[in-house]
Order: sequence, then structure tokens, then C-alpha cells
Amino acid sequence: MQIYGNFPMIRCQDVHKRFGRLEVLRGVTFDVAKGEVVVVIGPSGSGKTTLLRCINHLEAVDHGRIYLDGQPLGYREVKGKFVEKSEREVARMRASIGMVFQRFNLFPHLTALGNVIDAPIHVRKLGRSQGLKAGRAMLEKVGLGDKLDAYPAQLSGGQQQRVAIARALAMEPKVMLFDEPTSALDPELVGEVLEVMKSLAREGMTMIVVSHEMGFAREVADRMMLMDEGVVVEEGPPAQFFDNPRHDRTKLFLGKIL
Amino acid sequence: MSIPFPSLDYDPRIVWDYLFNSVILEGAQRTIVVAIAAQVLGVVLGLASALMRMSKNPLLNVPANLYVWFFRGTPLLIQLLFWYNGVPQLFDNPDITHQLTSFRVTIFALGVNEGAYMTEIVRAGIESVEAGQMDAAKSLGMTSAKAMRRIILPQALRVIVPPTGNEFIGMLKNSSLAFAIGLMELLTASRSIYVVNFKILELLTVASIWYLVMTTAFSLAQAELEARLAVGQRERPPTLFGRMTEAFGVARSRLR
Repeated sequence: MQIYGNFPMIRCQDVHKRFGRLEVLRGVTFDVAKGEVVVVIGPSGSGKTTLLRCINHLEAVDHGRIYLDGQPLGYREVKGKFVEKSEREVARMRASIGMVFQRFNLFPHLTALGNVIDAPIHVRKLGRSQGLKAGRAMLEKVGLGDKLDAYPAQLSGGQQQRVAIARALAMEPKVMLFDEPTSALDPELVGEVLEVMKSLAREGMTMIVVSHEMGFAREVADRMMLMDEGVVVEEGPPAQFFDNPRHDRTKLFLGKIL
Repeated sequence: MSIPFPSLDYDPRIVWDYLFNSVILEGAQRTIVVAIAAQVLGVVLGLASALMRMSKNPLLNVPANLYVWFFRGTPLLIQLLFWYNGVPQLFDNPDITHQLTSFRVTIFALGVNEGAYMTEIVRAGIESVEAGQMDAAKSLGMTSAKAMRRIILPQALRVIVPPTGNEFIGMLKNSSLAFAIGLMELLTASRSIYVVNFKILELLTVASIWYLVMTTAFSLAQAELEARLAVGQRERPPTLFGRMTEAFGVARSRLR
């Protein structure tokens, strides 16, 4: 029996993922509560991106379970056994998980507004006028109300990433995943994207952010997580994590990036 | 004094006389109809077979691979003769033979052959779209079919259209192979006249002129389509209309 409200928004239970011989995730376990902001850091190749892709079921996990709001992700429990869900069911679940990519991945053949309203109209089946209204509102929210008809190629990197955030938000997701959202940006454009993410966090959005923007992490994160070699090495509130890390691995890594 | 000049038997007036001859015009029309219908069939088959070929399921990708291998690997002329003369032997049934008119068989044979080439063109187009586009579409809750339709194919089109235009120009010309199964297309039509009046060169000229008219008209239309598809590109090539108004503007300023 499932009692809603008692479940964490996301629960990862002993998640394993391998690509060929390489085991990228080697047993990752953690919960994210509703409204919590978790910032994940770690060296490249530590499995951060793969973890986010597994949470969105862009990659199927090999072992372990991920739950979104109490529901197993990508699988259905039938009489105690896990059965793979149909593509349609997986897609429906993904619609409630927003994802922002390092390289934006905007649709280049659609305008900013077209990018934002496509899925609300064709996946959520909002009517066209309602979708347009929601799309405009989302672009206003990220400060791009004057760029509705611009194509991605006509926008700066920071603007493109803000459109990508608006696009994800327009699906009214329960959770937002950010995969190094500012690492492909010129330094002077990082701030505008982080501002949008901060205001999202203040509104109570549940967020998992892979980022090495430590100022942002200190200000916004409820919890920090260090991943290395496919496992969570250390987690804790930012004050303790930054000023008094328990593990040598964390000290070493923070020493390198701070 | 006049230099002796060998008298050449080529009369341009005959070319002019036959250029708008009704047999020739009907042949040209049939060539266009056959080429368009076969190209449409080829695009549809190519799209289906490209998607099958890219599937991980061997029940889908093996037949698609065999299809491309066979129809790309055998001469088009043999394929035409196979469908037109070979298949009736298989059934030995006058009703079926009667249904297999040279017009229908030409469209079918050219289309099936074209589908094999279009498979590779469509596949290259789809593969030219970054993998991140599929990820982004899926993360917004699209199934892969919907993502293919709404996000991937519209982008792939920019890569698919130019070689498809080449294919269509080839198709206009390859349709002349149908003379082997007696279809009254443009070449057969001109041939039907020169076997009677022996004005071979003049009538081959007539046919060539019409082929050039068709391919030129189509090339212009293609440039226009490509310019229109370049939506969202930084450097958008000018459309034909844009170029014409520009050229007109230049001419006018020179006149002043």
C-alpha cells in the first residue's frame, strides 16, 4: 500500500549502471525530499551525469531501483516482481521530470516560444491558446519575454540555457535535474542562468544540480553530495560539507576546485 | 570563291516543328508523372526502410538491409524487365498480366529501386541530428516515435533534401529506361517518330531539350525549397524571390 506524502520525491536504492566493461555507477543510494535542493559535485567520470540520466530513465539501470514520488521508475511492480514499463508509461513519467542539459539541446528549427510550447501542446495536450499563454509566461519568468520569436542560433549561450529551463518548466515537472547547466557558458553569462535557478529553488522546486559553481551551492543547496568512482563519497549540509568535510577524498577535491 | 563545305544533314527547323508535337508533349507529361510518382514512392519506402534499418530489432533491420542490398546491387533495367516480363511468367494468368501495364510497372519498379537509395539518404539525415536532440525530446515526455516526427525528422530534412533533389533529377532521366518495356514516355515518343521519318538527330535533340527544361525548372524549385528549410540557421541563403527582387533592385539603380 502506498501512502502519498510519506515518500521522498526521489529515492535511489543501490543503483548500478555499466557501459560494457565500465561500471559507471556502483551502488548509489540517496533520497531527495520534496522541495530539497541537492548539489552534486565530483571529478569527471565519477558518474554524476549518468546518475541524472538514470533518474530520467534516459539510461536504464542494471541493478537497484529509482522511485519518483513513491513510484518505481521505468518498472512496474506486479506481484512483487518488477516488469519493464511500456515506452508510453516511461514517457509519461519523464514528462514530470524536467532536465536541463550542459549543451542546452534546444530545438534549432523552432523559435524560443516554439521550443517552450511544443511539448505542452503535443505531450500534455494543452490547447494551443493555453499552451501559448503558458509558454509566454515561462519565457517572461526567465527574463526572455522579448525573445519569443528568436531562433536558438540568434541567442547567446546564457539566453539559450534560460530558454531550455523555461522549456522544462513548461511541463510543470515535480523535479528538475540540471546537468552542469553553466559549464558550456562564457563566464560573464553564468550569472544570469544561476539567478534563474536560485529563484526556482526559492519557489520550492525539488532540484538535483550537478555543478561546480560553489558560490551557488553554498547559497542554495540544502545538501551537498560528492561522487567519485560511481559511489557517493560524502553528503551533508553545505556548511559542514565545505568547512568541515569528513573524508579525505572530499578535502582533496574541494582543495582542487576552491 | 567558296570553300567547299560538307553538307550536314541536320535541319533545325525540324527540331522546332516537333518541339510542340502532341506525341512529344504527351511523352514529356508521362515522364513527369512517372518520375514524380516513383520519387514519392521511393521517399516513402526509403523513410520506412531507414527507420527499420536503424532499429535494433533484427526482424526489422535484416529485411531492410536485404532490400537495400538487392535493389541497389542489381541494374535498374533488369528490375524493370523483371517486374514487367518476369512476374507475369510467374503467375501465368492473363488477368494479372493485363493489370501490369507498362505505366504501373514503371512507377513501381523505379519507386522500389529509388527506395533503396533513399534509405541511405534518410538514414544519413537522421544520423546527422545530434543525439542530444532525442534526449531533450524524451526528457519532455515524448515517445521516440513522437520525437522522431516532431523533432528529429524536421531537422534531418535539411540534410535529406539536397541529395533527394539529385535523385529526382536522376529519376527524370532514368524514367527513359522504360522505353525497354514500351512505355510512351519522352524518349520512346521521340523514337516512335524518328523510326518513321529517320530524323534521328533532330528528334533526339527535341527529347534532350525537354529533359533540360524539366531538370532546370526542378533545380530552381529545389534551391527555393532549400532556402526555405534553412529556418533557424545563422546564414540563411536567400530565397529565389529574395534574389530576384535584389537583382531587380540592382538593375534599377544602374538604370538611374
